[in-house]
Amino acid sequence: MKNVSRDKKTKIIAFILTVVFITAGVLQIQYLACTGREFESLFVEKYKDSNNFYFNHVLPARNKVMFLIENKKEIVQPPKDLEYYYYVSDGETVFTNVPEESKKLFDQYNQNLYDLENNNLILGENPEEGYLYHYADDKYTLFLAFPDEYLYSEQVDWENSRLTMMPYIAMMAACLVLALGLIVYLILVTGRKLGDDELHMGKIDKMYTEIQAFAFVSILGIWVSIGMDLFEHNSDLTYRLGLSQVYSLILYGIITVASVTLMGLLFLSMVRKLKAKTFIKHSITYIIYFRIKDFFKSFFDGRRFERFPLTKALFYRQLAFIIVSGALVIFTFLFLLVPPLMIIPPIIEIAVIYWYVKYNNKTYEEINKGFDESLQEQMKSERMKVELITNVSHDLKTPLTSIISYIDLLSKEEELSETARDYVNILSEKAYRLKNIVSDLFDLAKSTSGDIHLDLEKLDLRKLIEQTLGDMEDEINESGLIIKTRLSEESIYIMADGKKLYRVFQNLIDNALKYSLKGTRVYIELEEINGKAVATIKNIAGYEMDFTAEEILQRFTRGDKSRSTEGSGLGLSIAESFTKVCGGDFRLDIDGDLFKVTIKFNVEK
Amino acid sequence: MDHVTILVVDDDKEIANAIEKLLTLEGYRVIKAYNGLEALDALVANNIQLILLDVMMPKLDGLSTTLKIREKKNIPIIILSAKSEDSDKILGLTMGADDYVTKPFNPQELVARVKSQLRRYMYLGDMRNSISSSQLIVGGLSLDRETKEFKVDGVPVKLTPTEFKIMELLMSNPGIVFSAEKIYEKVWQEEAYAVENTVMVHIRRIREKIEINPKEPKYLKVVWGIGYKIEKC
Repeated sequence: MKNVSRDKKTKIIAFILTVVFITAGVLQIQYLACTGREFESLFVEKYKDSNNFYFNHVLPARNKVMFLIENKKEIVQPPKDLEYYYYVSDGETVFTNVPEESKKLFDQYNQNLYDLENNNLILGENPEEGYLYHYADDKYTLFLAFPDEYLYSEQVDWENSRLTMMPYIAMMAACLVLALGLIVYLILVTGRKLGDDELHMGKIDKMYTEIQAFAFVSILGIWVSIGMDLFEHNSDLTYRLGLSQVYSLILYGIITVASVTLMGLLFLSMVRKLKAKTFIKHSITYIIYFRIKDFFKSFFDGRRFERFPLTKALFYRQLAFIIVSGALVIFTFLFLLVPPLMIIPPIIEIAVIYWYVKYNNKTYEEINKGFDESLQEQMKSERMKVELITNVSHDLKTPLTSIISYIDLLSKEEELSETARDYVNILSEKAYRLKNIVSDLFDLAKSTSGDIHLDLEKLDLRKLIEQTLGDMEDEINESGLIIKTRLSEESIYIMADGKKLYRVFQNLIDNALKYSLKGTRVYIELEEINGKAVATIKNIAGYEMDFTAEEILQRFTRGDKSRSTEGSGLGLSIAESFTKVCGGDFRLDIDGDLFKVTIKFNVEK
Repeated sequence: MDHVTILVVDDDKEIANAIEKLLTLEGYRVIKAYNGLEALDALVANNIQLILLDVMMPKLDGLSTTLKIREKKNIPIIILSAKSEDSDKILGLTMGADDYVTKPFNPQELVARVKSQLRRYMYLGDMRNSISSSQLIVGGLSLDRETKEFKVDGVPVKLTPTEFKIMELLMSNPGIVFSAEKIYEKVWQEEAYAVENTVMVHIRRIREKIEINPKEPKYLKVVWGIGYKIEKC
């Protein structure tokens, strides 16, 4: 049972049914209103007891009779053939449509049914015998009597109206009861899921409570007011629906579905929040309140100063200083009343300032000391890093020297078999590759550790790029790629280490030659933009670059996806690092198959 | 070459043995030493024409040994070192070494450098006495303006006329940096326009002819972003 009731489908169906039932119920009421049914007939059994009767029959009759007496001079012959009996008098003149002797009728009613003291008609003993209305003030006395015969046809209509409406009302009630049941069910299961007892929150629950409540009330207000408007103005006494009424009913049905759905979602969300006990906590008001409270609290529970114990001392000292100073200002005003005492606050203030400055200085000294210590520590570790690099490099290079030398000697042995010679060739190839890696690694480690010797001089970047291209002409021709250069006409001078920068461009061009798609072009551009020398190298990769610019540059420190079998794979990292030690800016962009490196230097004038 | 004896000094015995084998195959006689002091002793006890010297060694390191040797002898010294920084190379060369080879080295390159140094020491030395006015000599390079002969360590090298002119220009002013435009104007006798690549390609070709390792040239150097020069030796 639990499984079924918590199933998502069940919940959705229940929600939709709820919306449908509510909409159906509301539309039935609207339909009845449209066809001009009297809802009063549902609650008042006798027509003569209803407001409808009073407003539609009694009041018009009364007004008519009052009009007669108030304009008695113009009245020659009071009307006789009315459906009701009347008697009206202002003490002098009497108008009535009953014979004089029948006036007893009123007297009789008067006695039996009329409470003179309160001017109220009491309908108690004999209600079937018609309806009597009496009115009296200083000037006028008025009686109206509606006989049974007259009321009979109205009573039949009244009962008919009730009977027609009854089925609709019953259905509406059923709808609403069902909807209510479903709502209760939804309240119980919302937030629960199959298989666990956890409370699950949805996306709508991320709305703050106030916003939810405001939205709920707004939608409710709009929906109800549209409904009331329709209810009051859409009635038609023909008991049949006109076209415009049908349209407005359809429109209202859509509005109802929309509003009920939205309200339902908001309502259930609020229910979930109540269940999760986050109804209050997840409101804007609470969050603002909590933040402010937390901010002030953090000063006193030590959280704010957890990592900076010295700042804590400074803060409390400041606080004390401000409070004492403030208090002294107030005291100064008090002491104005007793002039000789006025000397006291300044003296205390001076003492406080002395204390404040002295201890703050002490704290600052401690902070500086800590800073110095960490700086020393850092320099020491830098030095150790450089030494480590040098030592490791030496320890790697020495055995490698033996390996390479003996492989060379081995290759000179004459009685080597064909297979052995192949093996020696592979060994030789790999040993040289290892040599390159060690050398690149060493260069990179030195430049990233900052311990690198730089020969900075003013050089022409355009010239350097052209020299590099000339130097690599053989490789470029072998690669079969076309290099397109667009270099500035003028020389662009920068401060840099020529050898390092040559390595940068050599590595980048080498990279482009190695990894470009066959037959594509490599673009090398250089221009001056806003006092910066901007060099770009662009090429189309011949393989899918499933790594980010970050990953390819940091493969030295991180694992990576594109280890190659040739070269050290450190070319780009070295290019980046060398550019940076020369004071330049290195940027790598990977956009689909486009591989683009941008190097920027400040132009030297 | 029967009488050429080379002293190999390295505290790593395997490396010393490998070098010994390498040089023996080339027909040299090899004596080994494992630190600076042993090297100095060996130098006294034998008639040695060339020394291969490691830098990082116990007792007496390579640089101090170089200084000591230079007090008495001017035989070629090639330093072998794992230190590859430019500053290390410059230090080694100013201490009196004739060449600087970084570990791990290419054995063939090492042999070539040994041969080059020996040639210069044994044959070129005599030539120095008979320098004619038409000759330009920088380190192991010699250029004869009249005979249009170009030699590296006494071995003739064929240069094209343009290459020869470039070398003539640079070798007349060793250590001076020439821009591509200047080289072009002087050598081609034309106005220079977008000539960087042309000059660079020539420089590269020359390097391939005269340098043992064109990737790490000893004589003909590119000053990146500025120009070209012949190293003053």
